[in-house]
Amino acid sequence: MGTSDLDRQIEQLKRCEPLTEAEVKALCLKAMEILVEESNVQRVDAPVTICGDIHGQFYDMKELFKVGGDCPKTNYLFLGDFVDRGFYSVETFLLLLALKVRYPDRITLIRGNHESRQITQVYGFYDECLRKYGSVNVWRYCTDIFDYLSLSALIENKIFSVHGGLSPNITTIDQIRVIDRKQEVPHDGAMCDLLWSDPEDAVDGWGLSPRGAGFLFGGNVVSSFNHTNNIDYICRAHQLVMEGFKWMFNNKIITVWSAPNYCYRCGNVAAILELDENLNKQFRVFEAAPHESRGVPAKRPAPDYFL
Amino acid sequence: MGEQGPRRRAGPDEELNKSMHRVKVYRLTDDGKWDDQGTGHATIDYIQGSREIALTVVDEDDSDTLLLHNITSDDIYRKQEETIISWRDPEKALELALSFQEAAGCSYIWESVCSIQQNLQFNVLDVHQAGLPPAFESLEASRNPPFHDESLSSINRESKKLPPLDLSSLSSILKTILECSMTERMRVSVTESILQDHYFFPKLVNLFRTCESSGNMDALHMIFRLVKGIILLNSSAIFDKIFSDDFILEIIGVLEYDPEARNVQTHRAFLKEHVVFKEAIPIKNASVVSKIHQTYRICYIKDVILVKVLDDATMASITTIIHTNNAVIVCLLKDDASFVKELFAKMRSSNISAESKREMVLFLHEFCTLSRSLQAVEQLRLCRDLASEGVFDIMSDVLQSQDKVLISAGTDILVYFLNQDPNQLRSYIVCQEENSQESNSLLGLLVQGMVTDFGEGMHCEFLEILKILMDGFATNTATYCRGVIEVFHEKHLDKLIDVVALSSPRKDISQSTYSPVGVGTRVDERSAKPEILSNICELLCFCVVHHPYKIKVNFLRGNSMEKILTLTRRRERFLVVGAVRFMRTIIGRNDELLVGHVIKFNLLKPIIEAFVENGDRYNMLHSGVLELLEYIQKENKSLVIYVTESFWYHLVRFEKLGSIQAFKLKYQQIMESAETMQSTSIINMRRKTEERGLDKGEEDYFNKGSDEDSAVRTTFAQKQSMNKLAKGNDIDQMPARSTSGGLVDYDDDDDEGCHNPPPPKNVKADEALTVKRSPVDDNQTDWKSPKKPKLEPRIICSKIVAVANVKGRHSDLADKQDSSPASSTKSFDGNGDVGDENILPCALESLVEILDSTHQNEDDCSTTTKDAENLSPEMAVHTTKATDSEPYSVR
Repeated sequence: MGTSDLDRQIEQLKRCEPLTEAEVKALCLKAMEILVEESNVQRVDAPVTICGDIHGQFYDMKELFKVGGDCPKTNYLFLGDFVDRGFYSVETFLLLLALKVRYPDRITLIRGNHESRQITQVYGFYDECLRKYGSVNVWRYCTDIFDYLSLSALIENKIFSVHGGLSPNITTIDQIRVIDRKQEVPHDGAMCDLLWSDPEDAVDGWGLSPRGAGFLFGGNVVSSFNHTNNIDYICRAHQLVMEGFKWMFNNKIITVWSAPNYCYRCGNVAAILELDENLNKQFRVFEAAPHESRGVPAKRPAPDYFL
Repeated sequence: MGEQGPRRRAGPDEELNKSMHRVKVYRLTDDGKWDDQGTGHATIDYIQGSREIALTVVDEDDSDTLLLHNITSDDIYRKQEETIISWRDPEKALELALSFQEAAGCSYIWESVCSIQQNLQFNVLDVHQAGLPPAFESLEASRNPPFHDESLSSINRESKKLPPLDLSSLSSILKTILECSMTERMRVSVTESILQDHYFFPKLVNLFRTCESSGNMDALHMIFRLVKGIILLNSSAIFDKIFSDDFILEIIGVLEYDPEARNVQTHRAFLKEHVVFKEAIPIKNASVVSKIHQTYRICYIKDVILVKVLDDATMASITTIIHTNNAVIVCLLKDDASFVKELFAKMRSSNISAESKREMVLFLHEFCTLSRSLQAVEQLRLCRDLASEGVFDIMSDVLQSQDKVLISAGTDILVYFLNQDPNQLRSYIVCQEENSQESNSLLGLLVQGMVTDFGEGMHCEFLEILKILMDGFATNTATYCRGVIEVFHEKHLDKLIDVVALSSPRKDISQSTYSPVGVGTRVDERSAKPEILSNICELLCFCVVHHPYKIKVNFLRGNSMEKILTLTRRRERFLVVGAVRFMRTIIGRNDELLVGHVIKFNLLKPIIEAFVENGDRYNMLHSGVLELLEYIQKENKSLVIYVTESFWYHLVRFEKLGSIQAFKLKYQQIMESAETMQSTSIINMRRKTEERGLDKGEEDYFNKGSDEDSAVRTTFAQKQSMNKLAKGNDIDQMPARSTSGGLVDYDDDDDEGCHNPPPPKNVKADEALTVKRSPVDDNQTDWKSPKKPKLEPRIICSKIVAVANVKGRHSDLADKQDSSPASSTKSFDGNGDVGDENILPCALESLVEILDSTHQNEDDCSTTTKDAENLSPEMAVHTTKATDSEPYSVR
């Protein structure tokens, strides 16, 4: 797969036109080769723009790129949850993956709790693949790639980024090194917690998560983690915040949410966090794409039919 | 958070309506003055008990009727300025005027009046002259009860009535429909009024035709929006109408004029000219055919025309209609016994062209896909029926075709059957294996499919099918499943493993050396694609988890594991990672025989080599191996000892890593606890020196080749332990490398890689091996000698190694030294198995039996011995669970 092929595919995906099954397979193989070289804690240099959940809201992601600038001009870090809920999980994830393959050093994708076989069978990605391709092979390729996505990122050694939050099994960032991430998101343990946990004001230390996976963790946990690992703050996604971003625990942890009008009905705005080379922060808030801009190239059904 | 959507509020909306229609009624007095009659709300509605439509104003204070005026088709109405409508009532000879509070209300009533007027004319002219088909009229009449207005008035007095549809009323009707989505009540009422006007859709279609032929784009755009609005009313009764044969094509025609689209779409042309309805077998039932067409068109509307327009609820309703239709179609066809018989007879027949057979398989594929709309019981029955008609025979033929589309359809059909009831296919496979000697058994074809290069796709489907077939956990009637597993392990597993072995860069047999991944390595031209290898590796992990005993027999009797581990030499790092995962799965079993095998044949060597070669790159290989080591450190002492003693001088490079430190610490602890168990002080002392000297000694040993560490401390004790350890290593690695020190010879790698003789082509693997072995391997005779005699020592050896605690370490090593040459020579460098089976099939049989009994005893052993390494059954179960990270099977 040459660069020109890839560029063509990126252009096609930017128009929200899905790739063929064979193209997806080739793209995933290529991505696999790149992602297998990435570490569980992927090092990221500033300046970088951090984005939270996207959830298949393709046209809203295009707004995100309008606000944040195109890849590769802007260096991006996506905190997972690319798929499910929205109508365009396939196009959303494949565009991000194609950008990753094309510009591996300019975009970092880490895994969210929705990048999982089990979850996607319930929340839409599986059905979307079946609907758009008539078979679930594309879903299989994509979920295989999910197993290769990195688990977290560390920006200039100062900002620890992860989809969900912390784990009682992880006190130092280096402990993440020992996770064999090539697997379905497990139901418990460090890998699960990183993708599922939430910070919670009302909790001191660790608490049970109402989500049924991961933990709730309090301000003291975050303080000691940041202190132990000598980082400024933790950047995570995973929870809808109506204003797009939200600080907690005295600016020790930030939630960034990048799916405006989540599920096309929550009425929230979205945000991305831009860090300059000195790690100065600027939040960019944006709204859902206007309805008119959602041109959906319809996929014609097979012209031949028996039934 | 899903429930935070904005809710439409009923209250303010009604308020709005009221203020919109608030009017003052004026009458022109004889002296030419406008006399204020009162203030009220204007509505247009049917007069109770008649079909006439009247404009009514009801007093806002006492609900008296201020005005009741039958709207006539005569041209008497005038609109003045923004807010006044006036007319002369001919019957009562009165000049009347309505002054609206809001311009919007005024124009709404005005438009309604106008459209009612035109409608009155339309009724006179159009219906009778243009003439709707009489059949249609009677059909409509029979469906709808005679018109009466109770329902209208009872639903909602203030609901918006639709004026009769025509060009002039279009905009007001459109407005009503767009507005009515504001409240559920209004929506229901508008829906009712559309349904009750049984001329509504005929008129709509007529209007559309007229506008289309006159090219009135504005009107066409408005009609598009109207129809879109009507669809979004999400009424199943309306869907019944517009999707009926009478209207659906015209409705699709309307939807070609999307005002937001740049060009007029060509949906009708596509449906009429490009779409081909194929009949693999002629369907005689006309209503089935009509349903098939209808369903295709509804799908087209949903997936193509309105895909971006439909809201979730409407989408769901339409999907339900499609499902129901599919179920009806499949039901009617499957219950038509002659149809199914004819289909299968033709598929089996030899005088049918390949092309039409292809069509029939594709038909069957669609048929199976659609039957997912049936109820579960019905689906199951259908599957049984099709199976008894011989669908699996047909599938066997299909899988032998060269046509990718056909094969893909075939695998889909098989997945469909497996999702219904895997035991049908399992029992078929078992019977087929028992009763026929054909080489092309269905299972064989499936395995073949997994390793066939189709160019794109499909490998994952074969993997999926094999996994479901052999998923013994998921089935309650395990007999058939066991049968399939039996056949797979007996006939096919080795084939798959050989594909891996043949696809990995070869090492020279005589100079087994460390060879860097991807550099100077050679891949056999029979090499399979990486994705095929990856799938095989995944299937093998699956087998280790799901049929641990069967696969153990295979692994212990030959060199399968070595062959699989050749994946570590592949250029693609994800395959190396796959090999690590495979080893992790094996070790995760905590099976003492397997662990013993791993130790005996130094099977962690390729893993550690790959890890070391990977260096400081923090990637998935790095993390995968660290996790493996962490698991070993926590779970398996004999492996800790083996790894430390065999590889410490490589791992020491990574000593700064926490998990490597922990590993070393664990080793030291084992040594210490062994020490306390020792009663003899001499041995005790030996241990102590060894333990202290171990890492330093090895470090020194390792550093001979590097100049990282200058501190070379040599004491007598250290030297001694170093020698001992080095010796130990030689023993472990001996069979594979008679000349070199193995892992240590980094510098020679490239050279040796180049000196490797090219792999012989078209030579049987075993012959090739023999040829290559002969110059250096003096155990060659042993290798060809009968299996059974050396089998016993192997098993004993494995057991010894596995149960070895520190006490027995030395004797164990010695024992290994004695027993290893014969058996382990065979194991290293692959392909010994081929030789085995060629030479001694009967010996293998007995081998299996022996292993069988070994296995039987094994569980007893592990629960009765007090050995520290043995895991309790609970723990073993737990481990299974923890390592079972196989993808969830797709249902």
